[in-house]
Amino acid sequence: MREQEESRDLLYAIRALEIMMSSGVGLEAAILSIAGGGYGIISEDFQKMIKQQKKGKKLEIVLRDLMKKASSKGYKKLLTTMYNNVKSNTDVLKTLQMQAEAEEEERNEKMKKYIEDLGGLPESLLSIGMISPILLGLVGLAPQLMGDAGAIMGTLPSNSTMMNMVRVGLGITLLGMAFIGMKAHTKDPGV
Amino acid sequence: MILDFLEILNDYPAVLLLIIIAIATMGGGIPPILERRRRRGLENAISEVLELLSDNIGAGEGIQQGLARVAEVRNDLFGKLIGDAMQASKATSFNAAMAEMAVKSRSKQVQRVVNLILTSLEGDAPMQDVLFNMSQEYSRLNKLMNKRDTELQSSAFLIIFFVGLMLPAIIAFMIGIFAPKSSGMVVDDLNTIMAYFFGAATGISVLISGRMLGRMMSWFWYVPSFALLSMLVYILGFNLIS
Repeated sequence: MREQEESRDLLYAIRALEIMMSSGVGLEAAILSIAGGGYGIISEDFQKMIKQQKKGKKLEIVLRDLMKKASSKGYKKLLTTMYNNVKSNTDVLKTLQMQAEAEEEERNEKMKKYIEDLGGLPESLLSIGMISPILLGLVGLAPQLMGDAGAIMGTLPSNSTMMNMVRVGLGITLLGMAFIGMKAHTKDPGV
Repeated sequence: MILDFLEILNDYPAVLLLIIIAIATMGGGIPPILERRRRRGLENAISEVLELLSDNIGAGEGIQQGLARVAEVRNDLFGKLIGDAMQASKATSFNAAMAEMAVKSRSKQVQRVVNLILTSLEGDAPMQDVLFNMSQEYSRLNKLMNKRDTELQSSAFLIIFFVGLMLPAIIAFMIGIFAPKSSGMVVDDLNTIMAYFFGAATGISVLISGRMLGRMMSWFWYVPSFALLSMLVYILGFNLIS
């Protein structure tokens, strides 16, 4: 979940940092600007980072702590770049540009995959949604359709037992449909 | 005819309740659609606005002059918002007017762009390049968002059509053929269970479709309407067939 939230706003945050730093704004001021809001979980992380700094912690230590907390690869890379800049005054601008390009490419790939993955969703939902009510419908009708076939079939359960079976079966079907549909949420590329 | 219809629905109190809820929520679903259309209109225009502004600055104009020229050229909502901001900047500061415009746009993308423009201005950055790069970036982003919309829209509607309309119609046909009313079989319980199942399944499908397009919350409003439609297809379908 956290990884998804990080990825959603990461590209915008990198681009914002890139623009600000190419305009001559320092890293700390850029962090302050991102912490101001608009970049989801990244803004929240940066806010916490500033709070820690105000308590007296060094920026590099706070960045290192945040690196441990970060889940997505891209976000970790961004934090490492910032950490290196603070520690060794590296060329942050060029690295940010490269990271933004890589992140954009990854986002496009994710989007393509998402569209491909969800292409078969209507058929999957229809299959599970159709087979289950057909079978369970017959189960529900069985005591009445085959009530007189006791000699051949043996004793069938009562109508109320069958109805309970139908209820449980359809409930499971609903859960199955919701479960299949979950991939529309879990694989969201965040665009 | 209407009395017969109501007589049938009398056996399904949840459907009667759902009719009221569906009518109420159908109205509630309209504002999010209008708001989204407005917001997407603004966001799709960001790239053009930034490019135009970049050109104006390249021609030697200042940022305020450039924005005023953009407001003159564009006769859409974005142009109006910029025009209002330029007007307001005469009474207040440029930064305050731009910040107010960003808030009025109610768009995260516009707010980010305005924030970056103001930060770049403070840093005395090469605005022509900054704006041009931003315009390219937002053009790519919005193309991707539009692609998601167009490519997944058909799947989203197919899910609702399959689960909400086709499925109840098929099952109603099947049960109506196997156990018609005239046969004397007692299928009231089964019909009630099936009707509620289709209502719930359609609700889930609508939410999945909404999630696919990235607007589940606004589609939430239409869950009762589609669930009701699906239940009615089943109930009336069964009565028609049997």
